[in-house]
Amino acid sequence: MSALYNQDFGSGTESDDDDFNPAPPVESDNEDAGNGSDDQSRSAREPSKVDDDDEDVAAPRPSRFSKSASPVVREADDEDEEREERDTKDVDEDDEDRGGDAAEGDDDEEDDDEDGDEEDDVVAGRPRKRRRRDPRLQFIDEEAEVDDEEDEDEIEEDDIGDEPHPDDNLELNLGGVDDDRHHRQLDRQRDLMASLDAEKQAEEWRQKYGKQSRMAMDDVVVPQRLLLPTVDDPSIWAVRCREGKEKEVVLSVMRRWDSRLNTREPIPLISAFSRGDLMAGHIYIEARRQDDVFLATDGLQDCYPRSKCMLIPINEMPGLLRVQKSKSLEPGMYVRIKRGLYAGDLAQVEEVETNGLEVQLRLIPRLNYGITEDPNAPAGDAKRKRFGVKKGPTAASRPPQRLFSEHEARKKNAKYLGAAKGLQRNAISYMNDTYIDGFLLKDFKLQHIQTENVNPTLEEVTKFAAGAEDGTENLDLQAIAATLKATQDASSYASGDIVEIYQGEQSGLVGKVATVHGDIVSLDIMEGGKPGMRIDAPVKDLRKKFVEGDHVKVIGGSKYHDEAGMVVRIIKDRVTLLTDSNSQEITVFSKDLRKAADSGVSTVSSKYDLYDLVQLDATTVACVIKADRESIRVLDQNGSVRTLLPSSISNKIDRRRNAVATDREGSEIRTDDTVKEYSGEQKQGSVLHIHRNNLFCQNRTQAENAGVFVVRSLNVTTVAAKGGRVNAGPDLSKMNPALQRNGSPNGAPMMPPPRTMGRDRMIGQTVSIRKGPHKGLLGIVKDATDTMARVELHTKSKTVSVSKDMLLIRDSESGKALPRAGAGGFGRTPIRYGNTPSRVPDGAWSGSRTPAGAGGGQTPAWGMRSAGDIPAWKRHDGGMTPSPWNSSSRTPAYSRDDGGRTAYAREDGGRTAYARDDGGRTAYGGSGGSGGSWGASSRTPHGAHGFSSSNTWNDGSRTPAYNSGSRTPAPHHASTPGVTAPTPGDSAPTPGDGIGYTPAISAPTPGDHYNDRYGAPTPSDRYSAATPADHFNAPTPAAPADHPTPRYGQTPAVGAPTPGAYAAPTPGAYGAPTPGVFAAETPGGWGGAGSPDDDPRYE
Amino acid sequence: MASNIPPPNSRNHRACIICSIILPQTHFINSGCPNCESFLNLAGSPENVQVCTSQVYSGGISLADPSASWVARWQRLDGYVPGVYAVKVEGQLPDDVLQTMEDSGVRYMPRDGSAINEDL
Repeated sequence: MSALYNQDFGSGTESDDDDFNPAPPVESDNEDAGNGSDDQSRSAREPSKVDDDDEDVAAPRPSRFSKSASPVVREADDEDEEREERDTKDVDEDDEDRGGDAAEGDDDEEDDDEDGDEEDDVVAGRPRKRRRRDPRLQFIDEEAEVDDEEDEDEIEEDDIGDEPHPDDNLELNLGGVDDDRHHRQLDRQRDLMASLDAEKQAEEWRQKYGKQSRMAMDDVVVPQRLLLPTVDDPSIWAVRCREGKEKEVVLSVMRRWDSRLNTREPIPLISAFSRGDLMAGHIYIEARRQDDVFLATDGLQDCYPRSKCMLIPINEMPGLLRVQKSKSLEPGMYVRIKRGLYAGDLAQVEEVETNGLEVQLRLIPRLNYGITEDPNAPAGDAKRKRFGVKKGPTAASRPPQRLFSEHEARKKNAKYLGAAKGLQRNAISYMNDTYIDGFLLKDFKLQHIQTENVNPTLEEVTKFAAGAEDGTENLDLQAIAATLKATQDASSYASGDIVEIYQGEQSGLVGKVATVHGDIVSLDIMEGGKPGMRIDAPVKDLRKKFVEGDHVKVIGGSKYHDEAGMVVRIIKDRVTLLTDSNSQEITVFSKDLRKAADSGVSTVSSKYDLYDLVQLDATTVACVIKADRESIRVLDQNGSVRTLLPSSISNKIDRRRNAVATDREGSEIRTDDTVKEYSGEQKQGSVLHIHRNNLFCQNRTQAENAGVFVVRSLNVTTVAAKGGRVNAGPDLSKMNPALQRNGSPNGAPMMPPPRTMGRDRMIGQTVSIRKGPHKGLLGIVKDATDTMARVELHTKSKTVSVSKDMLLIRDSESGKALPRAGAGGFGRTPIRYGNTPSRVPDGAWSGSRTPAGAGGGQTPAWGMRSAGDIPAWKRHDGGMTPSPWNSSSRTPAYSRDDGGRTAYAREDGGRTAYARDDGGRTAYGGSGGSGGSWGASSRTPHGAHGFSSSNTWNDGSRTPAYNSGSRTPAPHHASTPGVTAPTPGDSAPTPGDGIGYTPAISAPTPGDHYNDRYGAPTPSDRYSAATPADHFNAPTPAAPADHPTPRYGQTPAVGAPTPGAYAAPTPGAYGAPTPGVFAAETPGGWGGAGSPDDDPRYE
Repeated sequence: MASNIPPPNSRNHRACIICSIILPQTHFINSGCPNCESFLNLAGSPENVQVCTSQVYSGGISLADPSASWVARWQRLDGYVPGVYAVKVEGQLPDDVLQTMEDSGVRYMPRDGSAINEDL
């Protein structure tokens, strides 16, 4: 400032220097001193006033102000305190204003300083002069004067233009004391004015100089709370609008306002706003009157002002505009893609652009590698398409998520493939995208990704986790935690939980949850504050409180769901617990924990259990060796161990108890057998599962893989079979389906259990019980199974279960015992015997078979009823045997007739066969005959029934052998469609041929047989040696089983030359079609075939 | 005035990160931001527009009378031109822009919700 007065000092006396020095100390504290100095300057300034005028307008003001700032501010401060409470903010503002002003004035000040240095000497001279003039009065007078004038000063405008005219000053100067007073007065006036109106001035200044930048206003940040609405502010009305159209409505309000802006009736709108999704269905209009709202919104599309127009209370207004900071993205976090090919897919944030609007995401690509592309499409076409048609596959038909495969990409689209730019290792560029480690790295805009409520499942996350070089999974739990944390909701709190408030004003309080209502939890305080007081706290401020030693259970969120354990460590909201199940330390968020009421370990874990056999893919099975909640460890059939998610297991394979495998010695292996490796480690264990050639065995002494190991079945030997099963080499009879069908030689049932079709015929029958505790009682069968019958007793109304064996069916009227031909097998056997005494030996013969035969008797029974052909296999299965007897039992004559016909047929073998083919009965009769023939053949003497066979024997000259032979196959032929169809089918042509053609020869020429001329080729050889061997053997598994066996070998030897030979071919023939039967009897039969009296043998 | 009101088609609209006014991208490129042009120099510079405006914003305030409006005051929009403003704008300004703003005496108030809650 003093710069302006330089000239003055030039004119001032130099001698003032000495006196000036004492003054400054006073000056600093004392206003008067200040005034004094001002006076000095004033006096000094006067001469120069003319020159300075132009500067006064601009520069001096700021500079002076800034110079006087410090005293003035002090004053202002004092006044402020006294003043009715004014916000300190204003003071700050003032300060800042001044600061700003000072800044603006900086240049001037600097100049001043520079000049000031020069001045100093000069300035120093003045005070002395003044003091000399009026040393004391200066102070006293001034005080009084200033006080007097203050009021005037305040009234006066601050204008600088009020300064006395230089000319006047000159005069005043001459005037001495008066002159000085005026100066001081003026200065004071200015100071006061400045101090009192600092604000006002600041405002003016700001208006004058601060307009360079519009934003300069914002330089002053008014705290938000000072902006809260007052009653003077316009009101806000909520207006309903169509959801989703909020923004459009707001825009159209604005446009309407704009269009009417300069018309005669402008819309007195102040503002309109919407919050988009946050307040869907509402827009808010700020206006003075409600009518204005209607003016602004009436008739707008999608806006319904008249339906519901609510005034928003003042205190709720700020809430309408509250802005929540959205979660900032950080690398490693998980997000979801909102739209496009990857819509809904989980992605991991790889990198965030600096402006936060774009992120690079790592996700699992969905590529089809151009499979759907048309390779023949012209090159330009694709390009055109890209713009016109939708790009990329739609979400519906999008390819599955799979890691990028360079190999596949190279196959079809090698031209798009290349090394990506940049330094990153194994980065591949394909179709303009970058792939690293199989993941796609892609930039997404912030608005296209979903950052809230991502809720990644562990399954999804693990796909991202397997990134480490060594293949180990590195699940970044922290990252998941960051993602999951925000999803905390009230549902994890239940009444009774002990919680603590860990943030907010009430932090530190501990209480017990009383109720949970939305996001607000009411709790009864236990510690801190007033115990027992109930307060409400928002969920976000809460966390559950546990103490070490608590027994807790994981209730959700984490992968340790349902794990229970003891709390061992608590760090903030992370709780480490020692699990009960496997004593591992796991760390979970406290919100996922709840105090466990029970100490029991819930073992609800995986749906796969230990030792389960599971299917991994079409060709791989594995045995579960560890079942955790989230992962399963399996040992697959190749012996490799892997850890899988339950979801990657396609299904569980039920344990097949009767699966059989063969060890290296041919012994069969069943589950639970103990086997031992033949080579290798010679591990021993019991068989858990048999899957094809692989045995999953368990050795309890072995620790690794839960004792499970996998071996090839051919690489083990059976050490002990379960249940002491004898395993002496391969049991060939077991492999012989025929034998299995017909029963084994050692007395096992020869027939498959008879199948009852339809309703059991016994039901409703009157029966008497033959044995047991209820013996002799009469009753009615109410229900029956294959073996048991529920009999309602007549005597006492009671229903008992009785074996069908023990029932005798009686006529309900007469009470007589009824023969039960068709009903079940049981009653029949005796009947059969009864009826056909001659057959008894046969029955005895097949003594072991009898029950079976009896059972089988049923078969023919219905077999007869149905077409004769169908039961073919039944017959073969021995059903055949009884069947003839059955029929013959009823009609012995019939069978004889049959036999007769058979005899007839003998003359014409071919036709016989046909005859048998016709009519089931006949056929049966025939077969009966034939059965008889063999039955008889086996038991020669009784021609009575199976006379054809007896003929065979009795009348060797007639070569019944042939007939029987021819006949035999014939029925078999007839029975072709049966199960044994192949057998008889094959046998049929053979004998058929043999008979069709040869019979003509053979029939008349039994001698042929003897001669061996024909016999050699035709009957004996063909049947006994060649034919059965070749024909039957080759096509029919049944036959070969039998025929190659010694029995046949024997047969020709015996049969060829001797009459036994007839027997030989005959059974041979039979043997062929009905191997089982013969398998059973042949050896014996043939052993004694030569001698007719082998009955005892059979019997 | 009308030039500061965005067309109804909201595609390619962007919000100024500083003053939150919503305008089409082309408007920003052609004429700049009506409030902040003095220091942002958006006009003719698509790069600056890209950096200083954001596509990610929410809410909409049709501001007709900035001086009288409490909403404007609350949102610190007083002194701006009438127009449509966003309630919340996501995005961060690069440091050099912040520096420029500071130099021109403009105090930047983030409009992504990060600053406001501290006061309340």
